[in-house]
Amino acid sequence: MESWVRFNSQSQAKERIIRAAQYACTLLGYTLQKGGAAADLLHTVSQLEAHMSLSRKLLRLGNSVEALEAAKRAIHLSDGVLRLCLTISHLNRAMYFACDNILWAGKTGLVPEVDLQKWSQRSFRYYLFTLILNLTRDVYELHLLMDREARYRASKSPPSAQPSPSLSADPPSPAPEALPWLSRQLHLLVTVLYSNPPLLLDLLKTLCDIFIPLDRLGIRPTGSGFVGACGLTSSLLSIATILHPWLKLKP
Amino acid sequence: MDAVVQFTSQSQGRDRIFRATQYACALSVYLLRNNSERKDLVAKLKSLETNMSAGRKLFRLGNTINSIEAAKRTMQLSDRVLSLCLTAANANRALYFICDNVLWARNVGLIRDIDKERWSLNASRCYFLSLVTSLTRDVYEVIQLMAQKARDRHFRQKMELHLNESPEVAEAVIPQLDAFLFLLLESLRSHPAVALDMLKNVCDLFIPLDRLGIYQLNAGVVGFCGLLSSVIGIVTLAQPKLRLRP
Repeated sequence: MESWVRFNSQSQAKERIIRAAQYACTLLGYTLQKGGAAADLLHTVSQLEAHMSLSRKLLRLGNSVEALEAAKRAIHLSDGVLRLCLTISHLNRAMYFACDNILWAGKTGLVPEVDLQKWSQRSFRYYLFTLILNLTRDVYELHLLMDREARYRASKSPPSAQPSPSLSADPPSPAPEALPWLSRQLHLLVTVLYSNPPLLLDLLKTLCDIFIPLDRLGIRPTGSGFVGACGLTSSLLSIATILHPWLKLKP
Repeated sequence: MDAVVQFTSQSQGRDRIFRATQYACALSVYLLRNNSERKDLVAKLKSLETNMSAGRKLFRLGNTINSIEAAKRTMQLSDRVLSLCLTAANANRALYFICDNVLWARNVGLIRDIDKERWSLNASRCYFLSLVTSLTRDVYEVIQLMAQKARDRHFRQKMELHLNESPEVAEAVIPQLDAFLFLLLESLRSHPAVALDMLKNVCDLFIPLDRLGIYQLNAGVVGFCGLLSSVIGIVTLAQPKLRLRP
């Protein structure tokens, strides 16, 4: 119970729980529709989902400032690629939250002239850019770690058979070489991911998240059931990183 | 900026800001109610107030457990009176949150066949009882402070000075009352946390008093009291020194 109190006192944790519940409602609505449930039950579920979505927008009202602060911190990173990816990702996130705040003002009736569809599309575009940059950062980290692991393995194992010094030898045909290379890379990938749970979690989370804007922007429509499942999975993974801070990918 | 981010990262901080906005809207609606040119502004403020209230009910869904944990902690305090008052306050607050959660479920349509008015009145009653026990605790703390101060020699000298100053200007009609008030004000001034907590509880008390029909007030006064208590809540959260412990 003590841990619940501490967990609940963070407003980000609360927002994640509500997000998980919101996407669970989406998934539930899809399953009930497929199963042919009563219309008023479907209506209740969709109403609950809308209420949670609007309340999350209210809870996120100050997050642009937080994202800008994170961008300011990311500028001081030493690694160039990380610096670029993270700074632009946080800036995009700040823009996403700004669009989200405008959407909240429009939906609650404070600023009735807001074109909800236009701003919703805009906010999903910024969200998509954020996720693409996060994915780039994950792939870059993965590449660095795989490189390091490969060099470590090469230094540990005895030097393999040297390629023939003869210049007249034909270059080895690529097809028979590709399969062991591929399996070696895959093995490296699995080892690196297994020994780096924060990277694995972040990669999974970003991959799950990316289907949501892809569906909402119409780039790759997947249906509300799949979107609900992806949203629910990424929210649960995010809650896991809040409960166990060592699982969070740093910086 | 950093301080703002840190404040809003606590879910209690955000809740107090929303509460302050909610009661500011209620106060503004009351002040503008007769202004015919601002009808659409009044409608917007009412809609904002309803949205904030609905959002806050959702965010409060987990608070029952918080209150039960707090009640468990206060049961172990050494001072009996303090332990009793705080445990009763926390227990009543837990009951209030349960009623509030049921009302939320009713509002979103999860539960249909419950009497909204009855549950709302029950919630107000539990809230009222928790505020009364909190005020009792405040009064107890003030009495202890006053007793402590009265025993202090340095303070007694100060009191003599105050009572005997300029008798030619104005003679105290009831010297004992004057002494008592001086003692009270000095105690409150030296411990602002108690004074702020007392003021917050008194302001908060008007809300259920009005809702239960015990002491009817107009919506403007209720809005103002709610706003003042929310602002005090924000100040005590931002400045931990001003927070009354335990």
